Amino acid sequence: MSKLRSVIRHEYMTIIRQPSFWISMVAFPIIFGAIFGLNYFSNTSGTARIEEVAKNLENVAIVDESELISEDVVTGAGLELYPSSEKERLQQSVQDGDVEALVVYPENITKDRAYLVYLASPDFSTSSGVGSLADTILETSLYLPLGDQDVIALAQQGASSEQVIYDNGRETAGIYEYIVPGFFLVLFYIVFLFSIGYMLTSVSDEKENRSMEMVLTYVKSRDLIMGKLLAVTLVTFTQLAFFAVLGLIALLVARSLGNELNLPLDIQVSELVFDPLTIAFALGFLVVGFLLFAGLMTTVAAISPSSKEANNFSVVFYLAPWIPFWFIMPILTDPENPVVRFLTYFPLTSPVVALVRNTIGNMSTLETAFALVVMTIFMVLSIAIAVRAFSRGALEFSQTIKLSSILKK
Amino acid sequence: MTKPIVSVKDFSLTIAGKKIVKQLDFEVLPGEVFAFLGSNGSGKTSTIRSLLGIYQATTGELHIDGQKLTPETASRVGYLPEERGLYARAKVLDTMIYFGELKGMKRQDAKREAIAFLERVELSDKANVKIKKLSGGQQQKVQLGVAVMGDPKLLILDEPTKGLDPVNRKLLLDIVDELQQKGVAVIYITHLMEEVERLADRLLVLKDGKARAYGTVAKVKKEFNSKSIEDIFVSIYNEKSAEAAK
Repeated sequence: MSKLRSVIRHEYMTIIRQPSFWISMVAFPIIFGAIFGLNYFSNTSGTARIEEVAKNLENVAIVDESELISEDVVTGAGLELYPSSEKERLQQSVQDGDVEALVVYPENITKDRAYLVYLASPDFSTSSGVGSLADTILETSLYLPLGDQDVIALAQQGASSEQVIYDNGRETAGIYEYIVPGFFLVLFYIVFLFSIGYMLTSVSDEKENRSMEMVLTYVKSRDLIMGKLLAVTLVTFTQLAFFAVLGLIALLVARSLGNELNLPLDIQVSELVFDPLTIAFALGFLVVGFLLFAGLMTTVAAISPSSKEANNFSVVFYLAPWIPFWFIMPILTDPENPVVRFLTYFPLTSPVVALVRNTIGNMSTLETAFALVVMTIFMVLSIAIAVRAFSRGALEFSQTIKLSSILKK
Repeated sequence: MTKPIVSVKDFSLTIAGKKIVKQLDFEVLPGEVFAFLGSNGSGKTSTIRSLLGIYQATTGELHIDGQKLTPETASRVGYLPEERGLYARAKVLDTMIYFGELKGMKRQDAKREAIAFLERVELSDKANVKIKKLSGGQQQKVQLGVAVMGDPKLLILDEPTKGLDPVNRKLLLDIVDELQQKGVAVIYITHLMEEVERLADRLLVLKDGKARAYGTVAKVKKEFNSKSIEDIFVSIYNEKSAEAAK
């Protein structure tokens, strides 16, 4: 037991003492925030620029062959509506640069749903501004016959729906039921991206720096693997605690600045549903899924002669949890689909698919429990194979261990 | 009669269908340097790994101090393997303490012993330096320190002087001498026959997994009617080509 404790402490300290560990953790929210902020800023400023250009466009001619465009709307925008006979002349004027742009709404616009825009220059903001202006003229002209401003606004912007959903006669809380178990899916990806790789490097580094044989003299392969797994689990908790503290600090800063905490989609924190059974299953899928992949990574590192080859091999396992996104619609809407059933139990996809299906509740309790049992069996197998591969491959420094030699007695 | 520290009886090892060691018998006595010789691929390392419980013997018995060795009972064995290295990114003292703990030592005892060893080999100023910052010779000294920690009864050194300069080689051999004087049994694996001549009390030459010469240095020399261990070694390994020539 004390040796296991020593292994855990050594592995844990080795990881968290690495500057790269802290750099990646600090960099993640910074980069994420920077990308989010830059994207928001550039989109906002881009939209504002187009609106600004659209507002200042005066030398734009409009030709209406469709008879759908309101002259009041065109003149209201400070522009002039020309008859169809002027089209060719105006087109030449645009080509000569005398007119900035010409918009032609053709006769068959209702069928083709397309109109023509002639531009005097290739400037992107001008073309976007003219496009925006032309859209607005068409849209406003079409809605104008509705008369009432509120009706026009409703037709343009639509209305939000308030859903009342029943599950076996019980009224559910809708989206609020999905958020807490869905959080475990996010956690799985965080854990996967940040921690699974440590299992790979922990084993392959030990092989590469040739310390393995000295370690195995004093510690059983099984204890060493378990020590590493537990250490990586502790590292994961450290990372989650770090992000939780970071989130708390952000919350406190936001509050001290007088801002209320606004979640996306106007979600109210007080409305969140904490269903113990769903959360228990989500936690189970998270932990078992993590250990399943950790076992696979250990096997990869154990059978590879160097960390470079281990990294090459591991790509397959790094990609696996993203596969379900190719099948997200059937996973969400068609649980009886054979592909969805396969992905629910296939070890490389089961953690994500099971977490998604548990979140949206399209698995019965029995099916969820069965999926967890199957995943647990694969997890135990993956760790057993990892221990065996480790025993066989830990001291092989020159060649990749074949699967057959791992299974051979 | 002195009770042997190492006792190997009728030991055979087969890995993935290949016979590595065939019916090997030998003993190592307390306070002796036992030269374990053989060319590459003769089965030396596999025998040592089996002795240490890393490999499971196909047949036979391998005992250290009267019992089968497992990681739990390995605390009194110091091992410097041929494929050796230490955690490149870890500090010298932390690494030594970790291995001391793996040998069953208390953290404080391991620390005290590690510091004493580093002073002995003039590396005390490197205690908090990362292993990767040390020279090859300095790393080898730390590896030896890890092997001798915990007051071992048996020390297994696989080519311990490989890559060492003459000064550090002498230092290492002096440490081996000191340990031998204290009654520690040393299994010494080397390809340098002058080291065997200088250090060994008894020897075993392994070829194709079989013992071809075994006993005190004097006895083996007498048996082969030779004054040089190197000549004996060469004659054993030339046997096959001589047979083929006939």
